[in-house]
Amino acid sequence: MKKESFFYVVIFTFIVAFIFVFIISLVNNATSERVARNRELVSAQAFLNAVGKNENDGTKALSEFSNLFGPVEGESIVKADINGNILLVKQFSGQGLWGTVTGVIAVNRDVSRIIGLDIISHEETPGLGGRIEEDWFKDQFRGEAIPDSGIKVKKGEGGSDNNPDNGIVDGVTGASLTSAAMEVIVNNQIAELRKEAAE
Amino acid sequence: MNNDTPAAILKRNLWTDNPIFVQILGICSTLAVTNNLTNTLIMTLAVTIVTGLSSTTVSLIKGLIPRKVRMIVQTLIIAFYVILVDIVLRAYIPEISKALGPYVGLIITNCIIMGRAEAFAQSNPPVMALWDGLTSGVGYMAVLVIIATIRELLGAGTLMGYQVLGDGFTTWTIMVMPPSAFFLLGSFIWAAKSIMIKKEAS
Repeated sequence: MKKESFFYVVIFTFIVAFIFVFIISLVNNATSERVARNRELVSAQAFLNAVGKNENDGTKALSEFSNLFGPVEGESIVKADINGNILLVKQFSGQGLWGTVTGVIAVNRDVSRIIGLDIISHEETPGLGGRIEEDWFKDQFRGEAIPDSGIKVKKGEGGSDNNPDNGIVDGVTGASLTSAAMEVIVNNQIAELRKEAAE
Repeated sequence: MNNDTPAAILKRNLWTDNPIFVQILGICSTLAVTNNLTNTLIMTLAVTIVTGLSSTTVSLIKGLIPRKVRMIVQTLIIAFYVILVDIVLRAYIPEISKALGPYVGLIITNCIIMGRAEAFAQSNPPVMALWDGLTSGVGYMAVLVIIATIRELLGAGTLMGYQVLGDGFTTWTIMVMPPSAFFLLGSFIWAAKSIMIKKEAS
């Protein structure tokens, strides 16, 4: 068959595409369990982090997660007993600047203080809005009082806001829109948690 | 180009015909990932591997590829390797995969890979194509790592996440943002070209 003939081109392209796609689906199949476990692990660790527990070992983290929170369905609010305190824990998702931000937020029973917050995934600019997943940003939420008007993510004096009683969190420099989006996301969650707590 | 020795290819890809500052290819990723050294290293390593492997593959089956669908087949091969890299990252180093996010997929569109496949692998034996692809990747890596080092150091005061400059250091927000990569890359090209011209003159 001539190399430039119509049939050769069609058959060649088909075979090449078939072989490569076949290999990819094999590899994908072989690793899908691992990828799924990684994903589970990330959200389990986010839950544990939000309530102030750190577990780096994967298997332990997964078992501790199911002990404390049981099966978590989507974004339902979970009541968890952490060291004798009942906490409200909720996975959330909200609109960031570029895409969806998902994470976990934990508050105390009467929703007067945030216990912790962790980010599972986001699509913000790496190095700018993407810094919301860094510890200095997330740690500002730890133990933060929730004023009636909600949390404020503000432009600060540099560094992070270390006062847990003012309900103010320092935003990310150079990422005002992501910071503003985080403020909206967190306050939406607080409103939902308050509703649940009032019932 | 039958007088290509491995050493000549190395010199060409690292210096005289460097993909970044001579061919000005792959600039989008230069702007995007270089505000963080760790991400830059992983990303450029991925590009190096993909360039090497896709060039080898193109070179291996070059005799079978009809001219008409040459580019389509090259793109297919490149996409194949990029998806493989993406899957491996997701399964074995999830933290990095999370940090790089969409940039891994964007390696497919990196012109360096296509450029090497088209300019070199199409007309050279597989081993040379592999070497050419790898050294091109290293040439890309070298420039990006230099830019990333400067940007992360001045923009965040850290290197690979470790605090290097003291707490008193005021970080340069501009260094974290894409424009600084333009300035740095421009300065880099200027410096490199000046050295080249001087060498030629003497």
